[in-house]
Amino acid sequence: MVTHELLAACRRGDQVAFEEVVRRTYRHVYTQAFRLVGDRQEAEDVAQDAYLRVHRGLSGFRGDAQFETWLYRIVSNAAMSHLRKRKRFGELIVESPEEPPREFPSPVRVEEEAVDRDSLTNALDSLPASLRVVVILKDVYGLSCREIGDQLGVSEGAVKVRLHRARRKLKEMLFGSEVVDEM
Amino acid sequence: MRCEDVRPLLPEMAEGNLREAGEAEQHLVSCESCSAELGRYRMVVAELAALTEVLSEPLPGFLERVISQIPERNWRTVAHRVASDERVHYAAFSLGGLVVGASAIALLWWRVARRTLAPVEGPTATA
Repeated sequence: MVTHELLAACRRGDQVAFEEVVRRTYRHVYTQAFRLVGDRQEAEDVAQDAYLRVHRGLSGFRGDAQFETWLYRIVSNAAMSHLRKRKRFGELIVESPEEPPREFPSPVRVEEEAVDRDSLTNALDSLPASLRVVVILKDVYGLSCREIGDQLGVSEGAVKVRLHRARRKLKEMLFGSEVVDEM
Repeated sequence: MRCEDVRPLLPEMAEGNLREAGEAEQHLVSCESCSAELGRYRMVVAELAALTEVLSEPLPGFLERVISQIPERNWRTVAHRVASDERVHYAAFSLGGLVVGASAIALLWWRVARRTLAPVEGPTATA
């Protein structure tokens, strides 16, 4: 948890306070970077770049937004820049083909169901990059659809469509898909 | 609304957003299957949000590498870093001890030298 006092000290140029911010957040920053670029060494590069951006931008951070949200946005920006440099950004913006539902399991009472975290992580990893990045930024890190659209260079509507598809695919992978009966 | 109309709204409804909430909610009250489906989407969204606290461990030395990359900004930081460095503490204590020892030796030498070199005072002759 990064306190207002710590941030105020950082804004006054206190490097030791900034190092404390890094100590308190580096696992979160690294994990987010890893989820977005999918490689440990590249995630480290992204995290380092993100902290340099935070260091430069802290004087402009007014504190009306939550620091963590601001940090997640910066890490996301750094990850997108990194993927652009590595010519991997295209995989994030290409449309993945719509697939028909694969299975039709028998209905299960929702109270008896649960989401296993490992299964969710595996399901997330198996999503196409264009859907995975959207659902990670929106549902894990709480960025708005507009912010995600700005970072990816696509419209807010396109982000919503991808989010919809990503959630549906995740749900299908975890619980199976259902045939809709007309009522 | 029918199931086929409500199902496409469920992924968005899972986080509490719904444009046509009234009609869809009426359907959900009466349709166990759609209601269960919404529950599943909500579980997925809730578990995704919980992943924020599921952390990966970076490669060894990561924290030190990040901190070493941060540019220093002012003299206070440098002063603080110097003041909190143990090696500087040892060096300061050593230097302090050296100064005190040298001062003691110098004082002793000065006193001995003063006593040795001082002119012997005798009775002064008068004419």
